[in-house]
Amino acid sequence: MMKYPQILLVIFLSSIVTSCFQNTDFDQANDVVITPVVELDLIYFDIDASQFYDVETNTPNLVVRDTTAIEFIDGNDIRDALVRAEFLFDFTNSIPSNFSVNFDFLNTNNEVRYSSFTQVNAGSASLPVETIYIDNVENEEIENLTSSNKVVISVTIPSSSSSLFGTLNLKSKATYYLEID
Amino acid sequence: MKKILFALAICYSIIAVSQNKQVLYNWDVSPQSLLLNPGAVVDQKHHYGIPFLSGFHINGGTSGVTVFDIFSDDGRDINDKIAEALTALDSNDFFTATQQLELINFGWRSKSDYYFSGGIYQEFDFISYLPKDFLDLAREGNRDYIGRAYNFDHISLRADLLTVYHFGFNKKVTDKLTLGLRFKAYSSMISASSTGNTGTFTTTQNDGTPNIYEHTVEGLNVEVKTSGYASLKDVDGSSQIVSDVLGRAFFGGNLGLGFDFGATYEITNQLSATASILDIGTIFHSSATEIYNASGNYTLDGLELLFPTIENGETTFPYYSDLEDEIEREIPVDTLNSAYSQMRPAKINAGLHYDFGESIGRKSGDCDCRNMGGKSQHVSQAGIQYYSVFRPKGIQAAGTVYYRRRFSNWLSTKATYTVDSYSASNIGLGMALNIGSLNFHLAADNLLDIANIAKANSLSLQFGFNIIVEEL
Repeated sequence: MMKYPQILLVIFLSSIVTSCFQNTDFDQANDVVITPVVELDLIYFDIDASQFYDVETNTPNLVVRDTTAIEFIDGNDIRDALVRAEFLFDFTNSIPSNFSVNFDFLNTNNEVRYSSFTQVNAGSASLPVETIYIDNVENEEIENLTSSNKVVISVTIPSSSSSLFGTLNLKSKATYYLEID
Repeated sequence: MKKILFALAICYSIIAVSQNKQVLYNWDVSPQSLLLNPGAVVDQKHHYGIPFLSGFHINGGTSGVTVFDIFSDDGRDINDKIAEALTALDSNDFFTATQQLELINFGWRSKSDYYFSGGIYQEFDFISYLPKDFLDLAREGNRDYIGRAYNFDHISLRADLLTVYHFGFNKKVTDKLTLGLRFKAYSSMISASSTGNTGTFTTTQNDGTPNIYEHTVEGLNVEVKTSGYASLKDVDGSSQIVSDVLGRAFFGGNLGLGFDFGATYEITNQLSATASILDIGTIFHSSATEIYNASGNYTLDGLELLFPTIENGETTFPYYSDLEDEIEREIPVDTLNSAYSQMRPAKINAGLHYDFGESIGRKSGDCDCRNMGGKSQHVSQAGIQYYSVFRPKGIQAAGTVYYRRRFSNWLSTKATYTVDSYSASNIGLGMALNIGSLNFHLAADNLLDIANIAKANSLSLQFGFNIIVEEL
């Protein structure tokens, strides 16, 4: 018959030997997914009304255009992770004219991959008018957006003259709905 | 991503206060007790560790969450369980892993009655605090947290792989007092740390700013120090890496010096007090160092378009690359190869020990010549112990009460109950077997969870084979 210390020894050793992870399922690690929602500033500008009229040649300049690279949106990693993107464009217009604004997203070969368009309401110096435009990008459009690496912004005024005053201001942000697994 | 989270979860699921060897402390059955207190009372004439088997220690743990909390097979969505766990944790929660393997260990008593001991052991030590703010940012993003400052001081971690060469001596200086000192030479194979970081990242929304938000990095100073890593980047193949790293184990790495000090005072026949301080030392990292530093302040408003008048063939301003340049200018990321030094994580042990029960060890009439005026030996001892370790964010401490008993000449046991800031249910048990001169010790803690390690906040295991030659 075993004595007390031997029994203790057997219990101790056997508990260490048989020690294990129980009632756990480590395959659950495959189900781990994180879904951050990230908001970042995008572009901003102030366009003076005088930019729509060329005083030297006395001719209207109906389309004002600028381009910037947005290389952070181009790539496989972001393509795999991005579920939805929401652009918010907040215009404040003190120019007494409405505008149409185009956002064209181009790839490295300058092919348009994704486009967005909005109208901006006319305002006045005493009462600037705010126009908010939200563009929601999802599903197959994500593929197009994330194969772009620059955006061209074209601001078109229906007509222009040298007597036009005021400023068209834009503030914008993007909300990226990500799913990383 | 999954792999990282999985590894984090595994690590987070195993300890509490790392390197606490509460079961082996002040237990003279194993030569390991001299490594925990160089001033421990030593009775033997000499000892030899069986090479590579004399001492093995592994310890891992996490505060606040267990593997079971995350991976229990309960049908719930793992993402909900992770979210729940993270809600309960803060940036002072941590996980640690420690492993030690003794290569050589020996000791002998000199004619002048000093007990000399020395040896070599390899150690891996890792601690990471929970980078709470950045886990939150990665998991949830900033949209619902406009105005929240994400703190870079939440990033705090340290990992070391090193070899320790040690030599110490132990002497009973008076009838009641035994002192010991151990010198250590460290040879660091690989070291990486990022501690003492500062700065915040905040997204704010205020009137009068150029864009909708301002994304601000303020007071940033983040540093990652590595040694022994830079030279491996150009090495081809894992076998070459292994041989390079092993080469550093034998004084080929970055060297350091340190010492341990300890004492035992026998207050009465039955009552004694012990204390030790271990690893008071510094490693001087001078070769193969690489320090990455990012510092500065920056506020991002987005890309400002200027709509310049473009003549034929001209292009507009390079807004995006200008922005990148500006960020790099304001928050430069430097790579330095300068030398740096790093303190070892010092540890303190202390205890009060009371012997009782039947006297043992000597036949009646024998002279207890090595123990004149000292404490008598009894079958039982009970006591309290204190342990603390200096970590990047302060001291981690633990308190232990224990009972140990010798059942026969060949079997001794020690049971411990340990409380620290993170767990109040840590039961440990150790056994030492003496078969002739061959000594085997085995100790483990968190036994309440040993049937299912997944539920344990921490776990440690130590074992070793030594040959101990008692005083003739």
